[in-house]
Amino acid sequence: MAQLEVENVTLVFGGLAALSAVSLEVEEGELVSIIGPNGAGKTSLLNCISGFYHPTRGRIRFEGHDLTHASPHTATRYGIARAFQNIELFSGLTVLENLLLARYTHLGYGLAAASVYYGRAQEAEVRARALVEEVIDFMELEPYRKAPVGNLPYGVRKRVEVARALALEPKLLLLDEPMAGMTLEEKEDMVRFILDVRSERGTTIVLIEHDLGVVMDISDRVYVLDFGEVIASGPPREVAENPRVLEAYVGGEA
Amino acid sequence: MRNVWAETGNYKTDYRQDSSIFATRLEQLSLIGFLLALFLLPLFLSRTQMFVADLIVIYALAVLGLNIITGYAGLINIGQAAFMGVGAYTAALLAPGLPFWLTIPIGGLVAALAGAVVGIPSLRIKHLYLAIATLAFQVIFEWIVGHSPLLKQGGAIPMPRVVFLGYRVGYKNHYYFWYFVALVVLILLAFAFRNLLRTRFGRALVAVRDNDRAADAMGMHPGLTKIFAFALGAFYAGVAGGLYAYFSRAVVIEDYMLPVSIKFLAMAIVGGLGSLPGSFFGPAFLVLLDLNMEDFANWMKRLGLSYAGVDIASAMRPLTFGLVIVLFLVFEPRGLANWWRLVRNYFKNWPFRY
Ligand SMILES: Nc1ncnc2c1ncn2[C@@H]1O[C@H](COP(=O)(O)OP(=O)(O)OP(=O)(O)O)[C@@H](O)[C@H]1O
Ligand SMILES: [Mg+2]
Repeated sequence: MAQLEVENVTLVFGGLAALSAVSLEVEEGELVSIIGPNGAGKTSLLNCISGFYHPTRGRIRFEGHDLTHASPHTATRYGIARAFQNIELFSGLTVLENLLLARYTHLGYGLAAASVYYGRAQEAEVRARALVEEVIDFMELEPYRKAPVGNLPYGVRKRVEVARALALEPKLLLLDEPMAGMTLEEKEDMVRFILDVRSERGTTIVLIEHDLGVVMDISDRVYVLDFGEVIASGPPREVAENPRVLEAYVGGEA
Repeated sequence: MRNVWAETGNYKTDYRQDSSIFATRLEQLSLIGFLLALFLLPLFLSRTQMFVADLIVIYALAVLGLNIITGYAGLINIGQAAFMGVGAYTAALLAPGLPFWLTIPIGGLVAALAGAVVGIPSLRIKHLYLAIATLAFQVIFEWIVGHSPLLKQGGAIPMPRVVFLGYRVGYKNHYYFWYFVALVVLILLAFAFRNLLRTRFGRALVAVRDNDRAADAMGMHPGLTKIFAFALGAFYAGVAGGLYAYFSRAVVIEDYMLPVSIKFLAMAIVGGLGSLPGSFFGPAFLVLLDLNMEDFANWMKRLGLSYAGVDIASAMRPLTFGLVIVLFLVFEPRGLANWWRLVRNYFKNWPFRY
């Protein structure tokens, strides 16, 4: 049984199908990319997996849990984390606070311990801080630690998004165009981060990305969506040679 | 060597220190000194001045609660006075049988329950719609009290004088006694909230204010977090209500009606929304301003000023009140707390300016 199973998912918005009978399977530890022209339904699919949208038809299972009607916090608690395409950070808070928020469910102490602070709550907070600092280190965010996120440049905020998802210590990481709008150098860094997460933590990754060069380089398998349908899937090389894919890309983006 | 008395930069070495409440030992000492001064204050004040001091301390507690809901969690609350009223009426009903150190916290808990119920719509609705729900609660509260014979239809329910550890609180020491009680309660609850702010609970409040969707993705239930914010803020109001009931020696509906809720919002704004010290500055500033305007108005009355039949003197109080709020909204939306921040930063580097 695959770790993530999306079975025949259809998602309808006011009569229009954003997804029609999409099926997808991801094995533990795999890096799977989803590509497709703008409006193909890639983000909608991630929204279904992470609980922000609920499929009109079909089923989603993660490690045996039925996620079809789950809310985002339930999906998160099962071990699914997500970096949003349109940055969704807590803009009034610092980088550090944003990442600490990812430790919300892991910090187990109760209200009484929290209002006294010294003791249980403090110990847990210090541990959370140490873990968050590791992520900050890993994502090379040290210079921005105490900066309010709202004022940071776009590329850095994208990186904070990914860092916050990592701070959740997920089993499955969903990345929605983490490199969009970045400079070449920033892109190279992000690719390195993604590969390192995979090799160091063995996290399963689902990546949406428009840069086909990157996708073909790093993915184990690729799914191609067009008008809400999976038109091809398989190892990168096979998919790249698929005539329907070439057609969709020429037709979609020309 | 590290000078712990004056740190002109950030020299913290581990995470424990980094999240401690006070930046420097100087700051710690100033706070202890300030608290000491607050406890010594009654030595220098007359009975009428103590009345004002009590009022400020109790209002500060209610405004702190409002700040939790509106300032930190970003949920506009136009019913804070009603939550306070729930605490006050609970205390009034229990006072004949129970000591004040039970009736007041119970009042807080009942208010917290009311807060949780009022917060339930936040599972579905947001922003202005939610604000209307709190307004509805204020109106319903007033209606229920006004129609309930048990609560004298809003007329005065007298509160008994209390005896504490064999110490009888009477006419002379009334305001002194309640000053100390309210001050201790305020300090304890303010520290508790300051602690919460450093934990997952405090961060969760700010998270649902900043970004609901992201909060959800962090694994917290945004709706329940908002209900928690309402319950917590209402608890503070309820405790303030119990204190106010004893302090004013009677529970009257006028003390817990809509204009008071608006006054609390004004105090929170003038103090600085989402600022803990602001919760104290706002009430202190507006209560003292109101008092001075009253004196000023009386002085004008004696001069017999009136224009086209309008009694200018009595118009002075609401006019200045409104003017001050507008001025703050326009020129210092971050409130008095922002001035406080500037002063603090100045002294943090003092005497080294650069
Ligand atoms: N909440 C919504 N309400 C109505 N329509 C929606 C909603 N979300 C997505 N859609 C529609 O579903 C379709 C797929 O959108 P989606 O955002 O999933 O595309 P995408 O593949 O992520 O595109 P892009 O590459 O531009 O990010 C679009 O036609 C979009 O307008
Ligand atoms: Mg998208």
